[in-house]
Formats: sequence, C-alpha cells, structure tokens
Amino acid sequence: MTDFSNAMSVAASGMKAQASRLRHVSENIANTDTPGYQRKVISFEEEVAQGMRSGAVVTGPMRLDQTELTRIYDPANPLADASGHYDGSNVNLLVEIADAREAQRSYEANLKMFDQVRQMSSALMDLLRN
Amino acid sequence: MFDSLDIFQTATAMARHAGARQAIVAQNIANADTPGFQAQAIAPFSETYQSTGATQMRTTRSGHVSGSAIGVAQVELAAAGSEPAPNGNTVSLEEELLNSVAISREHDRALAVYRHAMTVLRTTLGRS
Repeated sequence: MTDFSNAMSVAASGMKAQASRLRHVSENIANTDTPGYQRKVISFEEEVAQGMRSGAVVTGPMRLDQTELTRIYDPANPLADASGHYDGSNVNLLVEIADAREAQRSYEANLKMFDQVRQMSSALMDLLRN
Repeated sequence: MFDSLDIFQTATAMARHAGARQAIVAQNIANADTPGFQAQAIAPFSETYQSTGATQMRTTRSGHVSGSAIGVAQVELAAAGSEPAPNGNTVSLEEELLNSVAISREHDRALAVYRHAMTVLRTTLGRS
C-alpha cells in the first residue's frame, strides 16, 4: 500500500512540476512584446528529503534567460533611442511552443501513471469486497 | 494454516513486486525532464522468482523464520533506460508507459490468481 501511495505522490509531484513549467511558458508567451522582458526558465531537480532521494521531482529556482534582447527598429516608439532602436524581449515563440508541448506530453504521462496506480490499488481493494 | 499455502504467498509476492516496480516507473516518469536523471528499473517477477527456486522460502533478513516477505524486499534497482538525452536524462517515456501497462496487468494477474485460490478454498469448505 505504501508503494501505491508513494507512486501516487510522485506522479502528483511530476504533474505539479510540469504545470509550473507550463505557467512560466505562458508568462513568457504573454510577454513576447513587452520591451526589455527576459524569458523565465525553470529547471527540474530530484527531490532530496532528509538526505534521502524520494524520487519525486521539484522545480528549481526560476532564472532569467540572459540571452541578448532583440533590438527593434521603430523610431516612432517612445522608448526608441537616438538611433531609432529599442530593446524588445528575448522570447522566441517557437521555443516556447515546443516547451509547452513537451510539458503537456510529460504531464499526460504522469496523469496516466496516476490512473494506472489508482486502478491497481482499487483492484486490491476489490479483493476485500468478495 | 491457510496463510502458509504456497499459492497465496506467491500471488502476494507477485502483487507486492508489481507495486514496487510501479513505484519505480512513477519516479522515472516524474523525472522524465530532470537533467542528469538516470532511469531505474526492477527486474520482472519471473526473473527474481526463478533465481531463488520455486519452492524455497525466501527471507530478507537472517532473523526471519518464515518466508512471508518473498521476493520484493530484496529487489535491486538497476540502471535502465535508453540513450541519454543531451541533458543526461535516460528516461524514455514510451518505454516507461509500456512498462507501467505490463506491470498493471501483472498485478491484475496476481490478484486473479489470489481470488481464484480463495474460491477453490471456499468450495473445499463447502461454501460458495
């Protein structure tokens, strides 16, 4: 039984991590056109509780992508400097979409796993019923 | 008396083994995007079963007398998985999902054997 509850909490930690990744992706996409915006990236780490590897996954600290901001030429923009350029964001939509897809795929895998374990444990419970 | 019937012990061990394996698969899937994570696996029940002999009792500690904890507690984690991704992660989602379905079926099989043995036992006692 502890194996099952362990497996369920591990799958839940995976879903939580992927969801927070997806949230950062959507923040990045929402701010594609924000001048001076640096895209946010998070990394995943294996959880270590009291010196033991629990097998669950946690999200590491959020970092800002230090890639150079794109220079956009638009003399009419109030932010434009003397040469008519201003700093845009460093968000690449293609990268964000790919990241979102990967997060979705991993989320689904975790959900599937959760369901699988739940079915196994309820099959075990059924033994008691008859 | 009935708890030492071999078939019940084997079915219990098989179900427990499936649970332990499934927990490892859940860890692999949760860490499918963790950089540097090495996929792990437990050998299938059929392998651990054959390795100790079919009728021999298995114990996990020398102090144990009965073999009630067959098979599972002595499982060994082995590195598994496929070619590492650029970030050093060796989890293959497809493989893990396939494993999880296989394990789930194995668990069902163990429970079916258990239930059937129970039915046989009941019939023997004249209750149906």
